[in-house]
Amino acid sequence: MLKLFFFITLLSSLIYSQQIDFNSPSNIKLFADYLFCDKDYFRAIDEYEKYLQIVEDDSVQFKIAIGYSAINDQSNAYKKFSSIKLTSSFYEQSKIEMLKSLYLQNIDSSYFLYADILTHSQSPISNNAYRLKNSSLLLIKNDLPEKENFLIPFENEEKKSLSNFYDLKNNPPYKSEVRAGILSAIIPGAGKIYTYDYGDGITAFILTGLFAYLAYTNFEHNHPTRAWIFTAIGAGFYAGNIYGSVASAQIFNARVNFEFNEGVKLFLEEKNYFVPTNDFCK
Amino acid sequence: MTFVNKNIFLLLVLITSNVFAQSTLQQQYEYANHLFNQEKYYDAVTELKRLQYFDEENKFSYQSNLLIGKSYKFGAKFDEAVKYLTLAEIYAKSEEEYFVAKTLNARTNILRRTTKRAERILNDLLNDPRFRSNEKEIKYWMGWKYIFSDDWEKAYEIFNENSLDTALASLCKLVDQEKYSVNFAKYSSYLIPGFGQFYTGEYINSALSLGWNILFGYLTINAFVEDRIFDAIIIGNFLWLRFYSGNIQNAEKYAVQKNLEISDKALEYLQYSFKGERP
Repeated sequence: MLKLFFFITLLSSLIYSQQIDFNSPSNIKLFADYLFCDKDYFRAIDEYEKYLQIVEDDSVQFKIAIGYSAINDQSNAYKKFSSIKLTSSFYEQSKIEMLKSLYLQNIDSSYFLYADILTHSQSPISNNAYRLKNSSLLLIKNDLPEKENFLIPFENEEKKSLSNFYDLKNNPPYKSEVRAGILSAIIPGAGKIYTYDYGDGITAFILTGLFAYLAYTNFEHNHPTRAWIFTAIGAGFYAGNIYGSVASAQIFNARVNFEFNEGVKLFLEEKNYFVPTNDFCK
Repeated sequence: MTFVNKNIFLLLVLITSNVFAQSTLQQQYEYANHLFNQEKYYDAVTELKRLQYFDEENKFSYQSNLLIGKSYKFGAKFDEAVKYLTLAEIYAKSEEEYFVAKTLNARTNILRRTTKRAERILNDLLNDPRFRSNEKEIKYWMGWKYIFSDDWEKAYEIFNENSLDTALASLCKLVDQEKYSVNFAKYSSYLIPGFGQFYTGEYINSALSLGWNILFGYLTINAFVEDRIFDAIIIGNFLWLRFYSGNIQNAEKYAVQKNLEISDKALEYLQYSFKGERP
């Protein structure tokens, strides 16, 4: 009886004393991987950093860098990618990820310098770098290379989209500000209609015409005071219509630039900036 | 005797290990709770997520989800808070736990301004016979829901019913009385251009509105009197009508704007000076 009692008590103490070492390296990594796959990157990075203090692991370093990139902290992402060693299996990919981080920070001379280095490096990712570099040329003010040379690194399905972007970049559908001003000077509102601002164009035409008519008819009926008031208001609307047409052309051109840039950026985002993807959460 | 001593010693060891072998999950929960009480919400959520990951039997699912929800709520991350409070409702093991999670969920929805959802949750609780004894508390939060929906009159009715909260009832009544009638401002401007703006205290705008309408009204009528029918139609249609309809839109706009200022002032008081329980 006593032995049975001891047995039951021992069994219950084994069952109820759940000992989990939360701070063991393996458990820290398990939890960190869970957070990473749950897209809780801030916490995953903290846990991975804790793990790296105990164990050196290049895949964890790479995941930290991916985490920083995912939360758009490109500066830290770049630092982490650059710390991946030559002997690591993630070394080549970290190079193209660094280029992506530079692109997302700012497309400047250091970005293009690094892109050139990678393009001529004859490594597995050199073509990825070439594609990203050429696509980025669409977003800066410099002249583009010849179309044939521009499209060299791209695959067939990408060539069509990039060819359209190339043509748009070289021949953007701008509206001339001078032409818009002159059109509105001749026919009030015409400059706005030229920039597809139909509502404003018709309003400008009606208002300017209305005040001109009121001024004329009041002069005709010998009401000089009212006539001069309407003349002044009409002149104001006429001048405003010309100014507004020039501004409308400027706004139209700015919108063309904005939509073009957003289109290129969206294309690159969809292609993941030509960076190979790793699914760590399979 | 030796045999008895040995058995007693063994028994004591086993009892001690059983009593003091506190689950590390329990310890982890207490640690996370301690961080929460210290208002270290980010760390608290990390430790609670760690607890959840290792809690394979979901023993702490209710407590951890509730505390994570509260942490996110205090950090003003209401979307995440609602998600975890809903999970807490699912894992609730008793009616009391369910009620706590559900009312917190309603309060978070009030703060998030998804007041329709808050109303649905509170109505569910009101209609649930298990929570008849909590009717006062549910109605209290219903009152707050009306405050955040900018319906101060209904909020007053709720807080005034059976003197639920006299301070809040007085505040809601005051706000309701101070607010301008948007319809009155709009329709009075139909009759007298500029009157709606005058009613809301925008005297300069009122004078300008009245002035423009009188000017173009005079010019239109004068044109008709002088038999310049086409002139009269043009001035009436493009000038007088434009300023007349603009006056009505303005009157309505100012009334809405002033009402927003009054509501905001009341909400500011509730946020910083009100001592009672808040969402």
